[in-house]
Amino acid sequence: MAEDLNWAVGGEAGDGIDSTGKIFAQALSRAGRHVFTSKDFASRIRGGYTSYKIRTSVDQVQSVVDRLDILVALTQRTIDENLDELHEGSAIIYDGERSWEAEIPDEMTAVDVPLKSLAEEAGGAIMRNIVALGAACEITGFDVEYLDEALEKRFGGKGSKIVENNKEAARVGQEYVRENYDLDHLGYNIETTDNDYVLLNGNEAIGMGALAAGCRFYAGYPITPATSIMEYLTGRIDDYGGHVVQAEDELSAINMALGAARSGARSMTATSGAGIDLMTETFGLVATSETPLVITDVQRSGPSTGMPTKQEQGDLNMALYGGHGEVPRFVVAPTSITECFWKTVEAFNLAEKYQTPVFLVSDLAMSVTEQTFPPEAFDMDEVEIDRGKLVDEDEVDEWLDAQGHFRAHAVTEDGVSPRAIPGTTDAAHMSTGLEHDELGRRTEEEDERVHQVDKRYRKVETAREQEDWDYREFGNADAENLIISWGSNEGALVEALDYLEDDGIDVRVISVPYIYPRPDLTEEIEAADDTIVVECNATGQFADVIERDVLTRVKRINKYTGVRFKADELADAITEKLSEEVPA
Amino acid sequence: MSSDVRFTDFKSDKQPTWCPGCGDFGTMNGMMKALANTGNDPDNTFVVAGIGCSGKIGTYMHSYALHGVHGRALPVGTGVKMARPDIEVMVAGGDGDGYSIGAGHFVHAVRRNVDMTYVVMDNRIYGLTKGQASPTSRSDFETSTTPEGPKQPPVNPLALALASGASFIAQSFSSDAMRHAEIIEKAIEHDGFGFVNVFSPCVTFNDVDTYDYFRDNLVDLQDEDHDPNDYEAAKGVILDSDKEYQGVMYQNENSVPYHEEHGVTEDMSEIPDGAPDDAMDLVREFY
Repeated sequence: MAEDLNWAVGGEAGDGIDSTGKIFAQALSRAGRHVFTSKDFASRIRGGYTSYKIRTSVDQVQSVVDRLDILVALTQRTIDENLDELHEGSAIIYDGERSWEAEIPDEMTAVDVPLKSLAEEAGGAIMRNIVALGAACEITGFDVEYLDEALEKRFGGKGSKIVENNKEAARVGQEYVRENYDLDHLGYNIETTDNDYVLLNGNEAIGMGALAAGCRFYAGYPITPATSIMEYLTGRIDDYGGHVVQAEDELSAINMALGAARSGARSMTATSGAGIDLMTETFGLVATSETPLVITDVQRSGPSTGMPTKQEQGDLNMALYGGHGEVPRFVVAPTSITECFWKTVEAFNLAEKYQTPVFLVSDLAMSVTEQTFPPEAFDMDEVEIDRGKLVDEDEVDEWLDAQGHFRAHAVTEDGVSPRAIPGTTDAAHMSTGLEHDELGRRTEEEDERVHQVDKRYRKVETAREQEDWDYREFGNADAENLIISWGSNEGALVEALDYLEDDGIDVRVISVPYIYPRPDLTEEIEAADDTIVVECNATGQFADVIERDVLTRVKRINKYTGVRFKADELADAITEKLSEEVPA
Repeated sequence: MSSDVRFTDFKSDKQPTWCPGCGDFGTMNGMMKALANTGNDPDNTFVVAGIGCSGKIGTYMHSYALHGVHGRALPVGTGVKMARPDIEVMVAGGDGDGYSIGAGHFVHAVRRNVDMTYVVMDNRIYGLTKGQASPTSRSDFETSTTPEGPKQPPVNPLALALASGASFIAQSFSSDAMRHAEIIEKAIEHDGFGFVNVFSPCVTFNDVDTYDYFRDNLVDLQDEDHDPNDYEAAKGVILDSDKEYQGVMYQNENSVPYHEEHGVTEDMSEIPDGAPDDAMDLVREFY
């Protein structure tokens, strides 16, 4: 395995931590290195500890680890918070001119750089973070010209003067370390490649997937961590004739999205925990009126306001069972950032093919994590659009009853009815959340009720047969130990395989992107000695579902601290869990 | 086709289950007449309604329609209009639907100035739940849930609209058929959010705000030399709590509807067979 570098910047919210990290990540990506980032932030605008971590290698990286090699510390707390990840060889860049006196463990390399004064020299104190990045380049022997490229990308729009000042700030940081310390790059040899990578996070991938899939309307209400989907689409969607509305609340957002969808637009809304609760009222209407709609839930820690800026996978039961009465739905949960893109495309197709709401369930860790990919991972030529049974004027006749009424909820063998959008001649019809007949008109007639309920569920059965509800697999397919995961845990699990292999433990990993319908894992579980379900929640919501499907007990690894799984930590947890008895 | 359209084309073959004498019959007839008179037909019209007696309107009319959840019809209408600026959107609701559970949406739909017509059937009572106080009930109006009256002043929907920046505010009386249809027609023709509060008496549960009461007390603004373009005059009429008015109170002739203000002009139902031709540019943005 190629040499890893683990770098972090930390300080108070408002210190520009996020942009500092993003610029360095960009520089590494431009150098043809793979990057995986993670963020820790508090639910406040200024103040409160915040950090941005980067793990980089020439190999693909898809997890964080318990190790930090270079730390840019803007406060003492940055050092204290990361003590358990720092090691003897770690270098800490700090500003000795600041009012605090840095307490750095003896065995580590303390690199005192007057960040503020040097930044002022280069043109302004605001660039002190760039000075620190220049210093980091010198410490690790990373070519500062890659940083220049990232600075051009970041500040190019603000004029050449700003770009030049920032480049100068990076240079003075680099020179200061070169002149005052004899570090010999701490033994690092930052390998670069000619590869061109793109660097993006899960929410950006969802937004991009929506545009690729022809989404034209988005309504949402700002909420962490879903907002960046709306921010991505705003402006860009207009280029394709679409529009984003910031609604007055989530109730309004989902109803606007419903209106647009009924009018024939591919339409989406996205929110998180508390917002999904509000949308649940309309969710049943979307399902019963058989409207194609993509509802994205970027999960965060609940319940109630919970921990708004922390990771959790606690909304699975909501997605599966939320809403009163019984309504069919699809629940799709991307397992990686590229899957955020592809599953979004698929969600729009599923919604229209089956005229059913689709929950696209992501999580905070995936939404804020940036990762590098070859651009072909998002090959737009591979995007397929299937609008299902959308009837045009010539096809309307086939679906009229004896009185000439359009049978918008026709009871069909596959459960899917014809869909006519406004403007289609002679297909005017009404839709309602009340139980209705084939024409969409209210009914309480017993047989009609049963026909419509059965028809709606038959769509799911049809989809079960027609679509591939598969899973992704890693490790050794013949291993006796089976690990099952959903959502963003996949990356950490894949990397955990290396640690487990070092300890002689052989496992098979199954990562499931479909929650409902989902692949039948009976055979896989029966073939295994031990099955462990890994998820970021306290009760094991996916494990419950699996146990019910297979009628057997599984072991569980649950993390609900608010922090995502790390690869090395997960390997330890798996090793420990394997030695335990299966619960009775 | 539009020149041949008669108002009865907007009628479905379902018999309304409204009580005999309900004001909603007249309200709906006026809506259908106004739609036909303004050159619309059922295939280019979308009617949205929420819950309550008013919410049943989509069943009795013939057009594209959605009968949604309580209080949320305006956001649905907004979504329809955004996706399809070519479609005529009419939203119908009641006083409970619009000024109680949906009051938040009302304020925002008004200030967005979405180009649709909002008709509120105001009977000053909750009818379908059998006679409870509504947000427009008089403060001394005795009901099953307010035996001594609500003891709080009623909402003034016209003032709420004015304060929210409305570009068209009107009021009509469902049994004054000609005037009612004419006012709805003006609301449809208005470029922006056309708001019409309609006195639509509940003959079963409201024995105060009756047909006779409105016949005796209603002042028609067209007899009063009222200029709807005069904001101050509109304010005077809207805030006058001593009289009940019908007519167009306010109209901003410079109104620019939301979709034009935001450059939303395309039919969003049309999309390519695959990703857009230049979609790889979206990926390259992340280099």
